[in-house]
Amino acid sequence: MKKISISLLLILSAVYPLHAESLTQLEGSFKTGPAIILIAILLTFVLVGVFFRAKDPADYYAAGRKISRVGSGMAIASNWMSAASVLGMAGMMYGFGYNGLAYVVGWTGGYVLLLILMAAQIRKYGKYTAPDFIGDRYYSRGLRIVSAVFTILISFAYCVGQFGGIGLMFKWILGLNYAWAVIIGSSVVLLYTLISGMIGATKNMQVQYIIIVISFLVPVFILAFKFDYFWLLPQIGYGAAVTDIVQGIPAPNIADGVAMVNAYGHDLAIVPSPEFAMPWDPSTGTTFFQWMAICFSLMVGTAGLPHVIQRFYVVPRVTDARWSVVWGLFFICLVYWTAPAYSAFGKLLSSNPDVGLLAKDAIVVYTAQLGGVNSLIVGLLAAGAVSAAFSTVSGLLVAGASAFSHDLYVRVINPSSTPKSQLKVARIGTVIMAVAVTVVALMKLGLIAQLVSVAFSMAACTIFPLFLLGIWWSGSNRAGAKAGLLAGSLVTLVSLTYFIVGLSGKSLPGQDFVSYWLNVWYFAWIGAPLAVIVNIIVSLLTKPTPLEIKKFLAEQVHN
Amino acid sequence: MESSDEYNFSIFRPRNLHGRKNRNIIFTMLLIWATAVFGFQILLKVVEKPVPEKAYVIFESEWPVVLSGSMTGESAGRLMRSFLLVKGKNIVSSGDQKILSGAVNTLFYAAVPDSVEPVIINQVAKMKEMKAKLATVRDQEYLSTSSSIVESANLLSGETSKYSGFENKSLETSILVNCLSETYQSSFSEEELSRIPDIMSLYLIHNQSKLTDKHFLGFPFHYFYTAVFLLILFVSLCIVYNILVEWRLNKQGVVE
Repeated sequence: MKKISISLLLILSAVYPLHAESLTQLEGSFKTGPAIILIAILLTFVLVGVFFRAKDPADYYAAGRKISRVGSGMAIASNWMSAASVLGMAGMMYGFGYNGLAYVVGWTGGYVLLLILMAAQIRKYGKYTAPDFIGDRYYSRGLRIVSAVFTILISFAYCVGQFGGIGLMFKWILGLNYAWAVIIGSSVVLLYTLISGMIGATKNMQVQYIIIVISFLVPVFILAFKFDYFWLLPQIGYGAAVTDIVQGIPAPNIADGVAMVNAYGHDLAIVPSPEFAMPWDPSTGTTFFQWMAICFSLMVGTAGLPHVIQRFYVVPRVTDARWSVVWGLFFICLVYWTAPAYSAFGKLLSSNPDVGLLAKDAIVVYTAQLGGVNSLIVGLLAAGAVSAAFSTVSGLLVAGASAFSHDLYVRVINPSSTPKSQLKVARIGTVIMAVAVTVVALMKLGLIAQLVSVAFSMAACTIFPLFLLGIWWSGSNRAGAKAGLLAGSLVTLVSLTYFIVGLSGKSLPGQDFVSYWLNVWYFAWIGAPLAVIVNIIVSLLTKPTPLEIKKFLAEQVHN
Repeated sequence: MESSDEYNFSIFRPRNLHGRKNRNIIFTMLLIWATAVFGFQILLKVVEKPVPEKAYVIFESEWPVVLSGSMTGESAGRLMRSFLLVKGKNIVSSGDQKILSGAVNTLFYAAVPDSVEPVIINQVAKMKEMKAKLATVRDQEYLSTSSSIVESANLLSGETSKYSGFENKSLETSILVNCLSETYQSSFSEEELSRIPDIMSLYLIHNQSKLTDKHFLGFPFHYFYTAVFLLILFVSLCIVYNILVEWRLNKQGVVE
């Protein structure tokens, strides 16, 4: 273990856990300090939303294309870092060891694909939404409608995990039961999104990013400092904690005469636990195939998520689109380098049998609590997690509302509608979606990260192939796109059907086979390549892409 | 009249020099990206070997003694330690925990004199009662009950360490105290005898190799590579790509 001078440790003695005096209740009670912090942050969001509220549809959908590279990068990071990143990812590593790292790699590596294959080209194409692009590129009103429906479904699936995370944190702070916490949290995020729209959301995302980063990083510095790891850079310092977990720490654990204990007074000791770090350990119930499938699905899904793609419409120039990805990825990595540290410290702090295995989705907050971090800092951490969920949900609701209003209502149902009525329809769409998501979130269908990964697989099977081939192959035509979308949709449908049947306790033929190979968390490993192949084959066998589309691609997007 | 073929292109067959250069950059980036992410995991899989923990080696040497019915006090202690080292992992399923608890109780109470047994059972019962209460109380009462549990566990720890062979306040004693119950069987049940070997191999054998055993900046190397290095690589790839693209656009005088 990396030991530092105990004199440094004593500097923070005010927050050092002192056995029973620092005992804390992980759940169940109303926490005044954290509640005040949460309310103050939410009020800030609403005020920023009101101050920068959308004035017309261009503002609502694409923030008037007034956002800078760094600002857009922060917005990308904030929009991206959801409850799944802040809460769920550490939970996956805490519960499933090395396989949890597939989420870390999958949710960052996808940005490389997004940058080199999509970002600049999407900006050059010059459309507002994903269905806009698909409808135009494949010269098909039908595909526009179907992709708008998929955009709504993907945003919906993504939101379910977020609302679950919001519910967990509201439950922790307010001491309410989960159902009320989800309902209250959902109402607040809906109100904020309705007031602000995308421009308010984009400004808010920058504020939210700062809150997320500060609230997420500060406790890790404190934890590393308190437990005698290299605290100046805890993103590296926790490596020694991982090794300690693998090799075990005997009790009592004394560093320079001071006992290392958690907030309950239990020794910071652990039996040798290589399963925490060794690849696809059998005891975690995970396999090599699952690691690869999850990682691939998340990466490809990243490049197909409508609300992520939509971020590239808000930057002024093509070069800004490219650099905003770099900034966004860097800002995301600041948090993703840190999340595994929470799982490692959480593992150490909860290793005593009296604590037992903690709720995975709340491990970040529990770790800070068990580490005896000041309750106001823990409160800020919880509020940061809520911010992460809020920023993502607002982006998702706007993407869903855009698909509903811009792609279905304006383009299909009522082309002569006024800007005012478009905005009204967008807001009605937002309300309907938020209510529906709340109902599903109350069912607690899985862990946050797992629920969110459904959206990624869905996007990878449906939207990603259309963008990839639409941008990079002029031969991809309407018939190919329809066939590819159908193939991706069928894989999605089969996976979701088996998942829902499995949840109900029943089984279909080949239930075990499909549940493993086409699992709802990673079915894109086969669905996405299949959709691409089908698209190519059918395109080659049918009428070629019209000249004007090829010309536009060649001259505007690739020239 | 314009020909449709004139505007045909794909990422594999760009239309001009600009496109070809761009394609080469993209393919190079993709190759590095895919090799770094998936290639490394495949390598990990290829070189891995099942490696048992020390506790499993102890278990393997003592278990045949149990099956032959000639267990001594010393071998019971070693076996109990190997069980506790599995029970201390919070990843163990509740079903497996139950089997191991039964086995540990059998081994522990066999070492406790009859005169002391009621005292320990009484202390265990009191602690369980307090733990049950903990789930129903809040705020100050929760904190005071938690303190009482810690005190009670310390008392029990001192008592059990006299007979278990483990040091007072050691990790093994702490796990033992937590899994003791008021009732126990005098010998292993059929279910315990049949399931324990599988449980022990499931939790004590891991996929390891030189890549997992070497350390870098305190991390097991493979963990550092995946959790830290790959993210640095992704950011670096993005920066290099942007610089290359913009350098090339400037060189060719292209304004986007």
